[in-house]
Amino acid sequence: MTSAGERFLFPEDSGAWLTVLRIGLGLHVALYALSLRRDWHDLLSSLLGRDLSEGILSAESPFVPRMGWFIDAGARLGLSESAVLTVVWVFLLAAGCALAAGLFSRPAAILAWLLHLCAAKSGGFVAYGVDRFMTVGLFYLMWSPLPDRYSLDHLWRGKALSRQELLGFFRRVLQVHLCVNYFFGGLGKGLGRGWWNGDNLWRALTRPPFDSVAPELLVKLKVLFSIAGISIVLLEAGYPVFIWLKATRRPWLICIAGMHLGIGLLMGMHLFALVMIVLNAAAFGPVSATSSERGTRATGRTGN
Amino acid sequence: MRRTSAYTACFALHFLLIITIACRETTWVVARRLTVLPSSVESLAEDVEPVEDAVLGRHLDPSNPLRRGLSTYWHLSGNEGGYGYFAPNVPGSYKLVFELRYPDGRVESVLPRVSSAAAGLRVAGLLDEIGRQRYEPVREYIVRSLADATWREHPDAVAVRAVFGSIQLPTIDEFEQGKKESYQFIFAYDFSR
Repeated sequence: MTSAGERFLFPEDSGAWLTVLRIGLGLHVALYALSLRRDWHDLLSSLLGRDLSEGILSAESPFVPRMGWFIDAGARLGLSESAVLTVVWVFLLAAGCALAAGLFSRPAAILAWLLHLCAAKSGGFVAYGVDRFMTVGLFYLMWSPLPDRYSLDHLWRGKALSRQELLGFFRRVLQVHLCVNYFFGGLGKGLGRGWWNGDNLWRALTRPPFDSVAPELLVKLKVLFSIAGISIVLLEAGYPVFIWLKATRRPWLICIAGMHLGIGLLMGMHLFALVMIVLNAAAFGPVSATSSERGTRATGRTGN
Repeated sequence: MRRTSAYTACFALHFLLIITIACRETTWVVARRLTVLPSSVESLAEDVEPVEDAVLGRHLDPSNPLRRGLSTYWHLSGNEGGYGYFAPNVPGSYKLVFELRYPDGRVESVLPRVSSAAAGLRVAGLLDEIGRQRYEPVREYIVRSLADATWREHPDAVAVRAVFGSIQLPTIDEFEQGKKESYQFIFAYDFSR
């Protein structure tokens, strides 16, 4: 491997990005659990059941975690399905809170990833984009060098920091993942006529259940739809280039965060907006720079 | 040094899979003529699809360990699909209505019910899945499960008719001319005790 490639994949990093990711995903997991507290049993049991989604999953791979494993284990202990689902929900909430606080960081990250994955896979027909990105974020978090320096594990329990040389590597993984995500998202949108003339944005904002804003109000902003549609395509497709350049990184990050904030507010997809903003802030947020990187930026070279 | 190489290899394999999955989704929409690209590119996409499937192990038997291993990995890492949300176009919207019939001849129409907006987004995704589902037994299974859940809340009903349709949204110009959304019937199932 070339030294340039090595420098790219294994840069020095302060690890502040990991704190942002841990706290952000911890809060997100807790909010996810709280937002579904009244529908948790319905979505995973009484509304659709798990047989079909878990059956399809088994056909693809019998090794992907699912809620049925916990239900079966609980049945052997004499616990009802409802009791097991409640216990899983409580543990998921607790894992989110522990992550946010930085207590038992790695076990909490693994537990949050596992329990959320089980819920997302067993409720596969009612899962959507937010579940995909929660899995991605938690998957990277649990492999990252936890605990981070601002966690209670380190500050209060005195746990030593480990594998600090890999902080930059795992941040790179997250950064490259977001670049792939946005590039293909932007490319796909750019291939549809509706994103260039504003039709798709109108459809997205008026389509139930995303129609949070009255169409009578939206139509007054008609002139902005094609501009916003083209901007979204360019923001996403251009992300892998402009997020790396010193001059454009911050405006690009602000615009991407603004786009997700808009999706959250205008389409009611609050959790989706939150997880995307957290992933972006951790990957490319200004808090991630080490002192040596700041020095590099001051010389005008491409930022990390 | 060896450790660095191991991480680099994992990085390369991980992103080879992710990029191939994303390319696969893009070529799928191109090959299905859902984009503005010319037909020559669409034909090319059709030729590329089997290559991408081979990289992802999809040409292998479903019980093949390599295929299962890859499938397990992308489920565990959250990479089982591409990133084409609302791309290339925003899909249509669907509506499912249950007509509950009571012994006295009364008919009551209800929608699938959840308690929160967060769960409402998920039910909307489920309706999209029903609308996209081409395998009829799966479609009927899902609708029957939803009908059963509704029935449990209305135990006096003797029969349920599940009516599924799509909602046609007006364009901006049509909306300005006063056109409202319209409903188009797609299918219905009758369930009785």
